[in-house]
Amino acid sequence: MIEVKNVTKAYGKKQHEFIALDDVSLAIDKGRSVAVIGKSGSGKSTLMHIMSGLDHPKSGSVLIDGQNIFELKQKQIDTFRAEKIGFIFQSFFLEGNETVADNVSLPLEIAHVPRSQRKERIQKALESVELSDKAKNKARNLSGGQRQRLVIARAIVNNPSIIFADEPTGNLDSQTGAKIEDLLFGLNKERGVTLVIVTHDDELAAKCDVQIRIKDGTIQSIDYAKELGDTSNKAKEGEPA
Amino acid sequence: MKFVDTVKRAGRNLREAKIRTLLTSLAIGVGAFTITLSLAAGSGGRSFVEELVSANTNPRAVYVQPKQDSSIPGAPGAGGVQEYSDAPSVSYGGGFQLTLMKESDIAAISNIENVERVDPIYNLNAKYVTAEGQKKYQAGLNTYDESITLEYAAGTGDDLANNEIIVSEDYLKPLGFTDASSAIGKSIAVAVDNPLGVEKLFNFTVAAVSKKSDLAVSGSSDLTINGTASKTVYEYSEQGTPLEKAYMGATVITSSEDAVSTVQSTLKDQGYMADTAEDLMSTIFTFVNVLQGILLGFGALAILTSIFGIINTQYISVLERTSQIGLMKALGMRNRDIGRLFRYEAAWIGFLGGAIGAGFAVVLGMVANPYITDALDLGKTRLLEFHVWQAASVIIGLMVVAVLAGIFPSRKASKLDPIEALRTE
Repeated sequence: MIEVKNVTKAYGKKQHEFIALDDVSLAIDKGRSVAVIGKSGSGKSTLMHIMSGLDHPKSGSVLIDGQNIFELKQKQIDTFRAEKIGFIFQSFFLEGNETVADNVSLPLEIAHVPRSQRKERIQKALESVELSDKAKNKARNLSGGQRQRLVIARAIVNNPSIIFADEPTGNLDSQTGAKIEDLLFGLNKERGVTLVIVTHDDELAAKCDVQIRIKDGTIQSIDYAKELGDTSNKAKEGEPA
Repeated sequence: MKFVDTVKRAGRNLREAKIRTLLTSLAIGVGAFTITLSLAAGSGGRSFVEELVSANTNPRAVYVQPKQDSSIPGAPGAGGVQEYSDAPSVSYGGGFQLTLMKESDIAAISNIENVERVDPIYNLNAKYVTAEGQKKYQAGLNTYDESITLEYAAGTGDDLANNEIIVSEDYLKPLGFTDASSAIGKSIAVAVDNPLGVEKLFNFTVAAVSKKSDLAVSGSSDLTINGTASKTVYEYSEQGTPLEKAYMGATVITSSEDAVSTVQSTLKDQGYMADTAEDLMSTIFTFVNVLQGILLGFGALAILTSIFGIINTQYISVLERTSQIGLMKALGMRNRDIGRLFRYEAAWIGFLGGAIGAGFAVVLGMVANPYITDALDLGKTRLLEFHVWQAASVIIGLMVVAVLAGIFPSRKASKLDPIEALRTE
């Protein structure tokens, strides 16, 4: 369960202050797939950064499983991210000169997973994105779709409970994009991983349980398009789902 | 991140920028090269001095001279007019006197505990040397000293009898001998003048023929006789002068090497100047150390320069890899670990530079050693002496220096804001 309570984030100082998020509140149940939809500059990426503890809000709190992560020490936030969260960044951030396996190994090394367990977990993660045969290849020799799959493997290797994905299909052709979508929603359904997708692609958003539309730092609407049980299609801004 | 993982990642990161890494390490390599060579030259120099001194001195010996009162007249700080003393002395121009040792001094020193014997230093002056039917030749005459290593072409100088002599191989031909072994057992004569100019011939039997030694300093003596014979010759040449039964100094042989320092301090307490073989060695060591220090200084300067190279390289590397740093922070890597990653990279550069420099120095030293030995006529001695621990400590030292240089860039890396870092593409 992710609860965002009255989060405000501002950049710059005094006269030049720019409000990126203005008193945003929302709640995401465990195991849901959620799309955060908005144009660039709407504050959706900032929201993702704050929900994952990467960025600090000016005010408000983020509770994950009831724990306000901004009350934790930096060390504990780091550990929390290393163990509970998987990231899929829009611009991959792969180490082109390292092998596929070494790229996937990075989160495990950071989380202090013993060497003996790493190999097996890397193998499993690569299997689930069908990249096992490329384990020894350099990341830079992969195609766009393979890179995206590699990024997913890196995100899931530490068995996170939440995956944040920033435009996971943005750079891909529709066929490869569909494959990636299947993979992500498969993780969501089969492993119960909470999936938060930041996108401006309505088609992808429609496949999620919840759509949160965001504009100019405020939540416009929260739709439960594929709501489980709940038939009311709309919720008021700021109301926990 | 664990230590091994961090070290491995750091190594891999460097491999991605091979040329840059190599160039930066080469700068350190120059320093490592200079330092390794100067350490090698220092060790080589010291062991050469050690060999030299031990070939010419006895570790059980203390070299004694009477204390000289005051210094050269007219020199700054000199005590002005000196009172006349009855003690035997040699007068030089300008009223400068060299105080000598008397028989009573010798006797007193002999009574010191742990003193085995006292050999006075005889200042021998041979007028000429000759053999039957041969011309007369000038020659230096010395007293046999067991501590001076002599090499023999024939015979042996050990247990030299009172009427026996060691001849340098240079004198074989002039004295009419065909080779070294044919000279053994033959008789030669050494002429000595007394103070009145009356010449006396001392006859000796050739016991050994000495070779020129690379290490011997005074051992290049032309003729060598034993102590008793020296005494006889000396007494004849100095009879009736103040120098009779007075000596420039004496060699005190102690019963064991352990006793040397106590005997030395006793002698100093009694008012003598006393030096051990070790003292003589340390005097020469000082020169070697000063030379080595100068070389080390150049090496240190090169390393100081290379520190800025490391800082520059690592700083650029941090800027280039902003997004990588951002990703690692997003994945929960702690700031401390990020800083460590960059410091280990610097350590790798230091290791590489040290290994290249030290390795190159060792190879060059191996190649150059025979030539240096040849050029300086050092015999078997190698002027450049490499020790594994020296090379290892050069490398480790440079790794530490590199890590220190890496502190500034690594702080920059650890303080990067992950959000900012992830924004760069």
